[in-house]
Amino acid sequence: MKKKLIASLLTAAMVLSMTACGNSGGDAAETQSTASTTPQTSDSGTDTASTSASDLEPVTLKMYLCGNDVTDDSKVMEELNKLLKEKINVTLEPIWETWGYGQEVVLSLQGGEPIDIYFTCSWTENEYNKFARDGYYVRLDDPNNNLIEKYASELWETLPEVLTQTGAAINGADGFGVYAVPGYKDIATQNCWDINVPLLEKYGYTLDDIRNTDYYGFGEILQTVKDGEGADFYPLLIEGAVLERMATNSIIVTGDSGTGNFMSYYLDPNDVSKETSYGIKLLNKYATDEFAKFAAQTREYYLKGFIDPACSNKDQANEMRTASQNLGSYLIGTQSYALGYELQASQERGFEVAMIPCTEPYVDTTSAQGAMMAISTASKNPERAMMFLNLLNTDPEVMTLMNYGVEGVHYNLTDDGCVEFTEERNNFKPWTNGVGNVTILPPTVEQGVGFWDTYKDYYGNAKEIPILGFAYDGSGVEAEMGSVANVVEEYLLPLCTGAVDPEEKLPEFLEKLEQNGVNTVLDDANAQLESFMKYKGN
Amino acid sequence: MKKTRPVNSVSRVTELIFHIILIAFCLICVVPFIFVIIISFTSQQSIREIGYSFIPNEWSLEAYKYAFKMGQLLWRSYFNSFFITVVGTICTLIVTIMYSYALFRKDFKFRKFFTFFCFFTMIFGGGLAPTYVVCKTVLGLSNSYAAVIVPMLLNPFNLIVMRTFFQSSVPMELVDAAAIDGSGEYSTLFRIIVPVSKPGIATVGLLTALAYWNEWFIPKLYVSGDVKHMPLQYLLMEMQEKVDFLIKNSSLIGAEASSIAKSLPQNSLRMALVVLIVVPIAFAYPFFQRYIIAGLTIGSVKG
Repeated sequence: MKKKLIASLLTAAMVLSMTACGNSGGDAAETQSTASTTPQTSDSGTDTASTSASDLEPVTLKMYLCGNDVTDDSKVMEELNKLLKEKINVTLEPIWETWGYGQEVVLSLQGGEPIDIYFTCSWTENEYNKFARDGYYVRLDDPNNNLIEKYASELWETLPEVLTQTGAAINGADGFGVYAVPGYKDIATQNCWDINVPLLEKYGYTLDDIRNTDYYGFGEILQTVKDGEGADFYPLLIEGAVLERMATNSIIVTGDSGTGNFMSYYLDPNDVSKETSYGIKLLNKYATDEFAKFAAQTREYYLKGFIDPACSNKDQANEMRTASQNLGSYLIGTQSYALGYELQASQERGFEVAMIPCTEPYVDTTSAQGAMMAISTASKNPERAMMFLNLLNTDPEVMTLMNYGVEGVHYNLTDDGCVEFTEERNNFKPWTNGVGNVTILPPTVEQGVGFWDTYKDYYGNAKEIPILGFAYDGSGVEAEMGSVANVVEEYLLPLCTGAVDPEEKLPEFLEKLEQNGVNTVLDDANAQLESFMKYKGN
Repeated sequence: MKKTRPVNSVSRVTELIFHIILIAFCLICVVPFIFVIIISFTSQQSIREIGYSFIPNEWSLEAYKYAFKMGQLLWRSYFNSFFITVVGTICTLIVTIMYSYALFRKDFKFRKFFTFFCFFTMIFGGGLAPTYVVCKTVLGLSNSYAAVIVPMLLNPFNLIVMRTFFQSSVPMELVDAAAIDGSGEYSTLFRIIVPVSKPGIATVGLLTALAYWNEWFIPKLYVSGDVKHMPLQYLLMEMQEKVDFLIKNSSLIGAEASSIAKSLPQNSLRMALVVLIVVPIAFAYPFFQRYIIAGLTIGSVKG
């Protein structure tokens, strides 16, 4: 009898623990709401915006950074803290996270840990919009306590307006405003055709032949090269999702489900800041004529043997792509561009690479919010954190230390002021773009003198798309989002790489999308976009 | 001369079937690992050309050479794994033995309460976020060896195994006899009970050592970004995360992705690290084995 009791108890325990696992999402949500109420910012921030460091209380700031490869920061921190002590009486304790910037950060935020500054952006787990909405980040331009005005006006003047005015301003917990300092990095998106120049010229074509046509006109060139190089040669080296955006001029809508995007907003390729005939509206990407045309063309290229079947296997695609690039066994590739990339690529691959843009560079939400620094509401010294961020992003000495290390240890300066890294750099390699305003860094030897001026020219003047700043909040339709994402995951890559016949699969795909509630999500998203555009207009 | 077969033997046919089943099971366990070893010795070129294969086109020691050249990072985390496993197992054993001994003593007044106290956590967990807050903010566990060891110090399952072992193989009379001879409570536990309980302790010890050695999630939470205290499993996990990150986000972060891809370890290197992780802990088995065989009879009928 007793044994039976115990047995049933243990079974119950097992079942319960299983359900507990399934519910962890709910648990997290609960703790979220309690956590967000506890760490309230001290509104009575010091009103004296004094500048001399000795008047300030000494404080220690903790900071989470993403994407680093740092094994030894002792020398850097020694130098940096000396400098910070002198300037703002702050000691910095950075946490050099790697690319696995995930759950521990979310827990740290939800747990109200006294960490002052967090890296945040549009693609990490502590996603900027969501966590700002849930009240984890301090509103920096709060009318009652405007930290930016008090401590960071210098920084705000340095950053391009497209970042400060529209890119970072969102609808958060304390109203429509700025909740993080945007990093001045490659803030514009531009997709380019990556051209293997020697091979192109071998068959008597020039770059103008590529420039003057588009995806739908590549057929003849590809055929010639394929015939010349043999059956094992695949001239078109693509990333399915990127190719789709390049051929149809659609963009990523921030907040759309990670890998499988299904919302689209179309750009006018001639002037990205203008609306297209679709207007300001999000569409089901796969139901548009653009997509049907693209899928049919890709299928044709695939059947003619222009595309390597490995492109449609997501586990192999990345590796295969890198390998083919290095071997030069492609003619036209897809590349999401960053300024100066063709030089870097030419160097790496050992032959001349050219990048032919599809559209002008445009600033969208994903790229504008690509790397930011937010001050946590659990921080005890938000004012000092703001001062630090201001200093980091405006003082070249601080930025260089934090990013490139110590002169004479991690790098040496050449006579014309360029940075040449030493062996020691391997122990201290932060993610350059993740730290902040990269434009105040000295150029590296590879970049050459004057690089940052070109950089600021290119990115600072990039046009913004009409819906810049909009990020979709899918929390109201989570179930639909999830199942739609699963469907997209199944069909997207094969369709975008031509591995399956769109005539047969596309209608099937669309039907499944509708069954799984794609229209519910889109209606929700369009309603949000509409109200966002109203805010933005004001 | 006719061979005499043991009384409890089964027929040849049954024996054959059992053997086939067991051999198949062994293969299922061993073959993947052999595959991992082969991949770790495969050249990157071969992986690129024909993918993973039992018979690669070309063998290579590159991955191991690279792993040993990683230097500080690898050795430091290797040392950390050993240190955490050894110290953690010893601490866990001490705590587990003491707690379960108290539960075993029928004359312990609060026995029922403490049994329930422990059982309860098996049924209802606190959830991830509260555990994190308690460990990090209340107990201040971060960036130290303690941060990796303390959260795993007591496992209720091990506790119950240990208590059951005491109940089934340590007669109460032994405790009484020791008490009559003037032995204090600690002396009774460590000089009388522990030496006769080696099989049970070895079983729990092995389970614990494995748990410490294989743990990567707790280090991720409490010593993330801190290479000084990072164990090897976490290092490997981090490489895997980097790969996943790239697959997921390469289209979002654009040109940056290619520079990250370059910093990625190759497939064969990852497999080499798996080999480096598995080999030491595999040696722990023979060491514990003779006790475990003795421990198998835990709970069987005593004559």
